[in-house]
Amino acid sequence: MLSRVADSLYWMSRNIERAENNARVLGVQLIQMLEASSGESLAKYDWEPVIEICGSLQDFNNQYDQFNMNNIIHYLAFSESNSSSILSCIKMARENARTTRDIIPTDLFEVWNDLYLESNSLRIPEGSLRDIHDFIQRVKIASLTSQGVIESSMSRGVPYRFIKIGKWLERAEKTTRILNVLSDKSKEESLRVYGENYYYWRSALQLLNGYDEYLKQYQPRMDPKDVLTFLIADSDFPRSIQYCMDHVREGLIALEGGKVSHYSWRMYAALDRLMDEFDEIKLQALPIEGISKFLDDFQDQCNKIGLVFSETYYLIEPAHVP
Amino acid sequence: MFKPYQSTHFFDEMLQENGTTRAHYQAFHDMMNQFTEEELREKHETAQLSFLRQGITFTVYNDNVGTERTMPFDFIPIIVPPDEWSMIEKGMKQRVEALNLFLEDIYKEQEILQDGVVPRELVEHNLHYYRKQVGGINIPLNNHIFLAGIDLIRDQQGTYRVLEDNLRNPSGMSYVYQNRYVMRQVYPEFFNRQRIHSLEHQLSNLNEAVLSHSPKRCEGEPRAVLLTPGMYNSAYYDHVFLAQQMGIELVEGRDLHVRNGVVYMKTIRGMQRVDIIYRRVDDDFLDPEVFNSDSALGVPGLLDAYRKGNVAILNGIGNGVADDKAMYAYVPEMIRYYLNEEPIIPNVDTYFLREEEQRRWVLEHLDQLVIKNVGASGGYDMLIGPHASEEELAVFRGKIEENPHQYIAQPTIQLSRAPAFQEGRFYPCHVDLRVFVMRGKETNVLPGGLSRVALKEGSLVVNSSQGGGGKDTWVLKKGGEL
Repeated sequence: MLSRVADSLYWMSRNIERAENNARVLGVQLIQMLEASSGESLAKYDWEPVIEICGSLQDFNNQYDQFNMNNIIHYLAFSESNSSSILSCIKMARENARTTRDIIPTDLFEVWNDLYLESNSLRIPEGSLRDIHDFIQRVKIASLTSQGVIESSMSRGVPYRFIKIGKWLERAEKTTRILNVLSDKSKEESLRVYGENYYYWRSALQLLNGYDEYLKQYQPRMDPKDVLTFLIADSDFPRSIQYCMDHVREGLIALEGGKVSHYSWRMYAALDRLMDEFDEIKLQALPIEGISKFLDDFQDQCNKIGLVFSETYYLIEPAHVP
Repeated sequence: MFKPYQSTHFFDEMLQENGTTRAHYQAFHDMMNQFTEEELREKHETAQLSFLRQGITFTVYNDNVGTERTMPFDFIPIIVPPDEWSMIEKGMKQRVEALNLFLEDIYKEQEILQDGVVPRELVEHNLHYYRKQVGGINIPLNNHIFLAGIDLIRDQQGTYRVLEDNLRNPSGMSYVYQNRYVMRQVYPEFFNRQRIHSLEHQLSNLNEAVLSHSPKRCEGEPRAVLLTPGMYNSAYYDHVFLAQQMGIELVEGRDLHVRNGVVYMKTIRGMQRVDIIYRRVDDDFLDPEVFNSDSALGVPGLLDAYRKGNVAILNGIGNGVADDKAMYAYVPEMIRYYLNEEPIIPNVDTYFLREEEQRRWVLEHLDQLVIKNVGASGGYDMLIGPHASEEELAVFRGKIEENPHQYIAQPTIQLSRAPAFQEGRFYPCHVDLRVFVMRGKETNVLPGGLSRVALKEGSLVVNSSQGGGGKDTWVLKKGGEL
C-alpha cells in the first residue's frame, strides 16, 4: 500500500476517534455544569481543564477576549483555528476519507460525508444548549456507526490495520491527556480544600465513558489509586491505556505477519518499554505526588510511539498533534 | 403530467414534429405518465441528494475558493435505438482509429504532412505538438489513445455529428455509471419493461485495455496505477471511481519516484516498480524536468522513463495536437487518407479564420455563427452569435482581427432537445452526448455514454461548470424496443 494512503487512513481514523472523544468531553462537561450551577458565574476551574484536554488554554486566551460559555463552545466545537475542535476533526477525517475512497468501504465514506455536510451547514443560535447536545449526539453516533462499518465490512488486511492502530493510539493518548490534566488540577485543589479532590477523579471516569464500568468493580469510592489503576492498567476496559496499547501491539503483529524485522524492531522496543510501566503493582506503589511526573513521562512515550510508527512506514510528516 | 411542446425548430429526441411520442420512447413515456407530479418531484429530490451523499461532486473554482457541487441530474433518459447505436459505434471506432494513425504518423514519418493533406504549420505550430519530447519513440501497441471521449450532437434533421474530440483526459465516465446507479435506485419502475445494454462488463474491458499496454521492458504481470492531480482536481471523483473499479492503485505525483529511468511508487514496504500509468494529469504538468517546471503534480524524470520504454503512459503524451478545434476540421480527411473510408459520422462545418476570404465572410455573418477559441475548452472563450449582444459581437470581432489563428467559426447548429423535468415542471432542453471509446488490443465503445443537458432554458452550453446537467443514456438491445 502507498505510504500516503496509509498515512491518510491513519489520520482519518485518529480524527474520527478524536471527534468522538472531544464531543463526549464537551457533552459531559455541559451536563456537569448544569448540575453544579447554582446561578453563580462560570466556574473557571471547571472549564479550564476541558479546554486543556481538547485544545490549549493558551490558544484559547489568545483568540478570545472573554471566558464565557459561547466562546468556549465555539472554540471546542466549531473553531477553524483549533485543529482539535470537533468540526476540524470532522473535516480532516473527511478529507482523508476522500483521498482514500478507493480503499475504504463506501458506507464509511457516506456516513462521514453525511456528518460533514450536515455539520458544515449547521447554524446554532448562541446559547442553544439543546442544539449543541444534538450536534454532539450526532457526532458520537456517526463515529460509532463508522466503527461498525469498519468492523463489519473491511477485510482484515493492511488498510484495516492502519485504521485500527490509528484509533487505539489516539484513544490511548486521549486517556493519558485527560489523566494528566486532571491530576494536575486535583493536586492544585487538594492544597486548597483537602479531601474534595475526588471530584476530578470522578470527572476523569466520566470523560472517558468509564464511570459505570468503574462502579461495577470498585463501588463509588474515588480513591485516586483505584481510578488510575482502572484507567491505566485494566486490561478489559476498552479505554484504558493498557487495553489500547495491547491492541496497538496486536495490530502491529498482524501487520507484520508476526515477525520483527530490521525496520520494525524500533517500534516494538518502544511499545515494550511503555508496557513495562503498566504493571499494576508498580502503579499501586507509586507515591501520590509522583503521579503527575509519571503521567508526563508516559504521555511523552505515547507520542514517541506515534512518531516511530510514522517513520517505520514512511508516512508523511505527521500533522500537528496537540 | 407530461404535456407535449412545440418542437418545430429543433430535432427532439422524444417527440415527433406532430407532438406524438417516438416509438422507442413509448414504453418510457407510458410509465412516466403513471406518476403524479408530486411523486416525480420527490424522486427528483432523492436523486439529487443521493449524489451529494455519495460525494459525487466536482469542484468549481471561483477566486481560488473551491466549492464542491453535484452535477444536476435529470431523470428523463436519452434512449438510442439499436440501429442508430451500431452506426455510432462503428463511426466512433473509425474516427478514433484514424486519429491514432494520425498521431503515430506525425510523431514519426509525417507522411500526411508531406502529402499536404493536413497543413504542416497547423501541426508544427501547435502548442501541444511535442515532437522534440516524444517524437520517434515506440509505444506499446502503437496506441496513443487509450480512452477517447467524442462529443456528438444532432442537427435539425436528427443527423449525428461530431462536435469535439477529447483525446487527452476525457472525464465523465464515472457519471455514466452513477447516473445509471441512481436511476436504478430511484426509478426502478422504468427498467421493468426495457431491454437495455448494461454497463457492467465495461470496466473489466477498461482494465484489460490498460493492462494490455505492457511496456517492452516489463517482465511478468505489469503493475498499473492511475495518476491523479489529487482531491482538489475538479474530476477527482472520476479518478477515484475508475481506480477503484479497475482495482488499480490511485497515486499522486508525490507517490512516484524515478530512479535510473525506472518508475517506482512509495509504499509502506519501500519502493515498488510501476509499469503502466493511466495518468489524469495534463502533459504540461507531467514532468517538471521537461514541461512546466513549476509543476508540483508531476514526477521528475518520468519522460526519461517513458522514452526508455520502461513505463507506458496512457493516454499518450502529445495527443493535444490532434484534438484541438483547428485540427478537428481535418479529421474527415484523415479518415479518408489513412483508412480509405468515408466518415460514418460527419463533422460540423468549420471555417478557418486565418484564411482571409473565410474570415471576411465570417465577420459579416458573426451574428449567425458560433466562434470558438481553438485552444479553449469547457465552453470558455466562445461566442454564440444569435444570442450575443452588440457589445459581445464587437469584442469577438476585435479578438478575431487581432488573432485570427486562434479562432474557428461554425454554423449555429440547432442542437437537438429532449424533455427535462426540473423544479416541478417539464420543458425541452438542448442535449449532447459524450461517447467513450476504449482501446487496447481491442476497441470497445461504452454503450451509451454521458448525455449532457443544458438545463437553463434555451441555453446551448452543456458543460457542468456552466449549469449543465446529466442524463442516463439507454442503448436498447435489438428486439428490445417495445
